[in-house]
Amino acid sequence: MQILWFMPKKKGSLAQIILTPMTLDIRDPEHPYSLEQLSVLSEESITVDDKLGLILITFTPTVQHCSMATVIGLCLRVKLKHYFPPHYKVDIKVSPGSHADEESVNKQLNDKERVAAALENPNLRQLVDECLYSNEL
Amino acid sequence: MSEKFSAALRIGDLNDYIAPSQACIVSLKGLKSNATKTDHKPEVVIANKQVKSEPVKISLKDCLACSGCVTSAETVMLEKQSLDEFLFNVNKGNAVIVSLSPQSRASLAVHFGISPLQVFKKLTSFFKSLGVKAVFDTSCSRDLTLVESCMEFMTRYRQNQSIDDVRSKSSLPMIASACPGWICYAEKQLGSFVLPNISKVKSPQQTIGTIIKHYLCQDMGLRPEEIYHVTVMPCYDKKLEAARDDFVFQLESHDEDRRSDVNMIPEVDSVLTTGEILELIQLKDVDFKSLEESPLDRMLTNINEEGYLYGVRGSSGGYAETIFRYAAKTLFGRQIDGPLNFRNIRNSDFQEVTLEVEGKTVLKFALCYGFRNLQNVVRKLKISKCDYHFLEIMACPSGCLNGGGQIKPKTGQSPKELSQTVETVYMENVMEAEPFNNPIVSSLYDKWLEQPGSEKAQRFMHTQYHPVEKSITSQLQNW
Amino acid sequence: MAIESMELKEIQTLEGHTDRVWSLDWNPVTGHSGIPLLFASCSGDKTVRVWEQNSLSSNLFTCKAVLDETHTRTVRSCAWSPSGKLLATASFDATTAIWENVGGDFECVSTLEGHENEVKSVCWNASGNLLATCSRDKSVWIWEVEQGNEVECVSVLQGHTQDVKMVKWHPTMDVLFSCSYDNTVKVWADEGESDDWQCVQTLGEPNNGHTSTVWAISFNASGDKMVTSSDDLTLKVWETENIEMQSGGGFAPWRHLCTLTGYHDRTIFSVDWSREGILASGAADDAIRLFVDNNESEVGGPLFKLLSKKEKAHGMDINCVQWSPGEKPLLASASDDGTIKVWEVTP
Repeated sequence: MQILWFMPKKKGSLAQIILTPMTLDIRDPEHPYSLEQLSVLSEESITVDDKLGLILITFTPTVQHCSMATVIGLCLRVKLKHYFPPHYKVDIKVSPGSHADEESVNKQLNDKERVAAALENPNLRQLVDECLYSNEL
Repeated sequence: MSEKFSAALRIGDLNDYIAPSQACIVSLKGLKSNATKTDHKPEVVIANKQVKSEPVKISLKDCLACSGCVTSAETVMLEKQSLDEFLFNVNKGNAVIVSLSPQSRASLAVHFGISPLQVFKKLTSFFKSLGVKAVFDTSCSRDLTLVESCMEFMTRYRQNQSIDDVRSKSSLPMIASACPGWICYAEKQLGSFVLPNISKVKSPQQTIGTIIKHYLCQDMGLRPEEIYHVTVMPCYDKKLEAARDDFVFQLESHDEDRRSDVNMIPEVDSVLTTGEILELIQLKDVDFKSLEESPLDRMLTNINEEGYLYGVRGSSGGYAETIFRYAAKTLFGRQIDGPLNFRNIRNSDFQEVTLEVEGKTVLKFALCYGFRNLQNVVRKLKISKCDYHFLEIMACPSGCLNGGGQIKPKTGQSPKELSQTVETVYMENVMEAEPFNNPIVSSLYDKWLEQPGSEKAQRFMHTQYHPVEKSITSQLQNW
Repeated sequence: MAIESMELKEIQTLEGHTDRVWSLDWNPVTGHSGIPLLFASCSGDKTVRVWEQNSLSSNLFTCKAVLDETHTRTVRSCAWSPSGKLLATASFDATTAIWENVGGDFECVSTLEGHENEVKSVCWNASGNLLATCSRDKSVWIWEVEQGNEVECVSVLQGHTQDVKMVKWHPTMDVLFSCSYDNTVKVWADEGESDDWQCVQTLGEPNNGHTSTVWAISFNASGDKMVTSSDDLTLKVWETENIEMQSGGGFAPWRHLCTLTGYHDRTIFSVDWSREGILASGAADDAIRLFVDNNESEVGGPLFKLLSKKEKAHGMDINCVQWSPGEKPLLASASDDGTIKVWEVTP
């Protein structure tokens, strides 16, 4: 299964393109499967409003108590940053009912200060980068 | 995180409340740093969302070895060091020994409106009615701790005077080791720059554990593994202390092949707080005030022929005071009678006492209670601007009498009011006595430890501290 | 005062930071008595920049100094002491630095360690002897700055259950306010029988408080009102009894006055109350809004009205807005787009 991604064709405009299997490289840190294989992400879970510059992405953690949900969210945030102009507003959420601490996971993932601080932490950064760029699969 | 723990443990990375079953980082496959000892299986998740998971068992030791949260420890502790576990062991017919701290006595005394001595005697009746074998007094083991601490201070002071010695730099100030909240904070947050300064002598709790399981058990005709030893403490953090790897020993008699955790004997099996003892009294529906008063077990209790309790002043153990007097006398020939002249610095939780000889300050000691004061001495230590010779650091404001395990104020009573009352009651009908004159301590040296500061004394009475590396996994969880 | 409308007019875009600009602070002793305006800004690029007005007659600013090589991570917040001589900077590297202006050069004279992780905000009290910091470690610390820039920890306040976003001293009294990810604002004072600081009030959901992270707080000139901004997309105005009564001892509690709702679309990161009574807000919707006390409000009507809204004030989130000192205040804004903009208000 492939995932639809959106990329800017030229500056200022966005076009829908089908992305290479890049997304499959986002791995759940706890499991040697890709996020997609674990049904973490699907086509329907990404909506983009080009006009308002809004992106909403919902993902489904593998288990209700997934302790790495916030790290997966970080990976998604970093990934999206590569594909969209910086002014796009990104909201990342776990899909409703999919996580025991849904509210707190969502809050943390959308607190840009916490996210910025996390991405400055070399250990977290390394994990995120490994999740995004590893070719071990 | 529970406010039961001291402020030092509640700060920062030590403080996220995560139940082990949910988010403890020890369970993270491939990322664990300290958990390699545990042989649990990682959770297995199959893509179609059927979840097969092996419950992850985390011991208190894993928690202590990890720089993540301490509070997973809380859940574990509630299981392992609980009233239920205590009653289970009593009912099982194990030889249960209870060691009572003087701070807990004072708290209960105030609660019931009776004297600490009465509390001690009534508690002895109460515990024995449940099947407890003996009830001892940690002010007795504390005297041994204090004697050894005086010895250590002398060594450090002399090291400090010898300029060539590399160790001279980290030999002073010496820092008291009795507060487990402080130790935990120092190991997990401060690391190597402060650990060499912490006294190597075990706390009174661990000292009484050592005495009972290494020595006294023989007198009682018991094997160490038959004893279930419980201390009653003013402090939750003491539970963490009892669970440290450093306070577990291997039985010597067993053959090599069968060496396993089963043969590991903790000096203290469980710690109950003053509050939990009150809970137990209520649970058993006992009218505590009208309980009969049993004679005390004199083997390890500071009670004299006339029936008076005795011990040092200082509601957090009297470390600074005792060592100050000893050093003044031994090093400078100054006998100090009467109370020491502690002066408030900044606030009542930071007090200083100095000895001047020929216009020169030769001894400078401080009591330093509570997190804010602790921070300032730590900052000074870090930049080598700390000119104290000894620091009695306690994590709780007002020290151990105000520990997190003590009985809470009654409605309408302010915490300040309560702590002042407990402070007054603390030395009620307790005679001030020098640790060096304690006949039980003398006898322990004569029959077992040889001399104060001897090699044998150090073997049984000293411990170690270990800086805890910041684990990567804890950072992945808590951002 | 009856201000009917007001426009924000951009004077200058200041470039120099190479990452998002988190915060800025105007030096309080500039902008009058012939001293040109000066402010500091701090950024994800780990530096602090000091900007100065070219001359009193010019509204253009130039970067006078770059303070680097002290913080190893994002500098999240900066604050000038009331005397304007010292600058405190709080960083994600868990430290707070104090800089002294020595003849135009800034020298780091003290580093405050103790917070477990990211320090998020720093603030001086009115007399300049106390400094407050807060952190993701959930604690608020009060430090005393003594002669020779010796610093001692006076108190470690643990009461918030989450990340603390901002600390702010009352403009005239030694009462401290902290805003948190736990949705509350806590008020701290050193009073009563205890010799330590303690929480004297918590403004949370039960007393009409915010329902999500509280990001910022600001006081009006007289100090009897304050405004808070939040991730719940509202601004809330709070008031207390006449401040004179407070100085006589005893703490007068704060109560909710009104909520400005329906104006913002995304998180409101910053709010600042000008001496003239104008509220400026900066939000993640890239817009700056100005509000004013609605004197003609009928009973039950809104107490504040929107004066103006500057859409796309920046290309990205606005993290900080602050009014300058001086007779005719300028507004400065800091943004994720890496720039600072200086605005003047025109009728």
